[in-house]
Amino acid sequence: MTALTRRGFVTKSAGTAAGLTAIGALGAKRADAERANTELADADSDAPAGSEPVVAYIRDPSRGEISVMTGEREVTVRDPKLAARIARAAR
Amino acid sequence: MSSHREAPAISQDPVADNTDTYAFVSPDDPGTVTIISNYLPLEAPFGGPNFFEFGDDVLYEIHIDNNGDGKPDITYEFRFATEVRDPGTFLYNTGPIASISSANWNRRQFYSVTRVTGAKRELLASHLACPPCNIGPASTPKYADLAAEAVHSIGAGHTVFAGQRLDGFYVDLGSIFDLGDLRPFQKLHIASMADAHGVNATHEFGVHSIALKVPKPALTANGSTPTNPSLAGSVIGVWTAASRRRSVIREAGTGLNQETGPWVQISRLGNPLFNEVIVPIGEKDRWNALPAAQDGQYLKYVQHPELAGLLPVLYPGVFPNLAALSAARADLVAVLLTGIPSGIVPGFQNYTGTVYADQLRLNMAIPPAKSPKPLGLIGGDAAGFPNGRRVFDDVVTVELRAIAGATYPLVDKTYKPDGAAALITDGLGPNDTRYLSHFPYLGTPQGGYQTTPLAAA
Repeated sequence: MTALTRRGFVTKSAGTAAGLTAIGALGAKRADAERANTELADADSDAPAGSEPVVAYIRDPSRGEISVMTGEREVTVRDPKLAARIARAAR
Repeated sequence: MSSHREAPAISQDPVADNTDTYAFVSPDDPGTVTIISNYLPLEAPFGGPNFFEFGDDVLYEIHIDNNGDGKPDITYEFRFATEVRDPGTFLYNTGPIASISSANWNRRQFYSVTRVTGAKRELLASHLACPPCNIGPASTPKYADLAAEAVHSIGAGHTVFAGQRLDGFYVDLGSIFDLGDLRPFQKLHIASMADAHGVNATHEFGVHSIALKVPKPALTANGSTPTNPSLAGSVIGVWTAASRRRSVIREAGTGLNQETGPWVQISRLGNPLFNEVIVPIGEKDRWNALPAAQDGQYLKYVQHPELAGLLPVLYPGVFPNLAALSAARADLVAVLLTGIPSGIVPGFQNYTGTVYADQLRLNMAIPPAKSPKPLGLIGGDAAGFPNGRRVFDDVVTVELRAIAGATYPLVDKTYKPDGAAALITDGLGPNDTRYLSHFPYLGTPQGGYQTTPLAAA
């Protein structure tokens, strides 16, 4: 997940917040979430974000899981505070 | 139809709608297997000015399982890219297209082929040209020659073609979807009418085909050429699929989409008519999204197909033995989900094991028939369906008869099929003029100018 940073993700998420709810039929997998927890550390690094668009999808804000997609990749990040913040921004 | 518009969701997405899959030992090159995967159902040949093409935003795949676990061991991926020479005209072509490199052809499509085995990805070829659609004598003169230019020899002995073809599948849709009122037998139907000849609904329609010819050793688990039909290693399972990206953001005011994320399967196809006739309408979209290895959850629909219960109702008094047959249909399970084990049909097997998966199962050690019979295995021709599927196989009649009970004695010799089970058909057979004797085997598509709308034969 070197192409994503937490800062870049939040910035892009805010810009696409309205789009998050538009993708409402998509689902997240627990296995992805477990895998993503280890990748979250990478996301928190200071590496610059890539130029590819990033889509974040929160199927159920109460679960605190955020699916993050860029290129052909998808990881699921577990961050209840961030999920709640994005959900509030979309309302 | 075989799988044209067979499920609610995919019927809204024609470029990803997998209509037919074929897999057979190439009759003119028996050291190879040809696999064909069709998309875009019911292409009206005159459908311009934006003629038919593959989806640039769709991942097309051919899957091969060579160890019986229901999962792909080899996958061929196809990705398309459209190029427009002059965006300032509304025209598909600005003059006659005499070759696939013609400057008169405005909107062209190219594709890449990648072979995937496990974690290994091998790009076999890129920027391969598709042919244009067959528009008419002024735009696409000598169309057969033009299309032949789009047959490409690529790496490792593979040959490929991707583009418009005449639909090789034949079926009387009008009668089948009118409460199964098969014209040759409609005097016996509950809506009794005089018997009539079948009408081929796909007569002049095209499809978009991806045809791939592969050396047999490139398909087996051990890299050998199968010669012994009795060996498990001689059999491969084949199915095809289409996928789209997980997320689509429509960019307002631009006409453009932003597609992101991993590929998500939205269409698949092994045996003709599986999702169409066996799977209930409420589960068809989900079936399209699942891997073939999970087809065990659809076992009950194969064991007790809805159509087997309908035939005695639609044709009163014609199928009394079928009406009384309540046992699980092990014959259909073998044909559709596991392959036929040794000892059922003398000298034949295409069994892949106990994993239930909708696949075309091809025993590659069985050579092409010298005198092919469209009814395939039930017609005494082991080189045809359900040993893979050839372009001319009469899969509608074969599956109608199988579901009507004609194949049940293979697993229960005490069962006596109804007389009608050996006769039921939609009244159609292959028309040799619809096919080629060489790769890509499906025939030249009808030209738009030459087509008489809705004329059927």
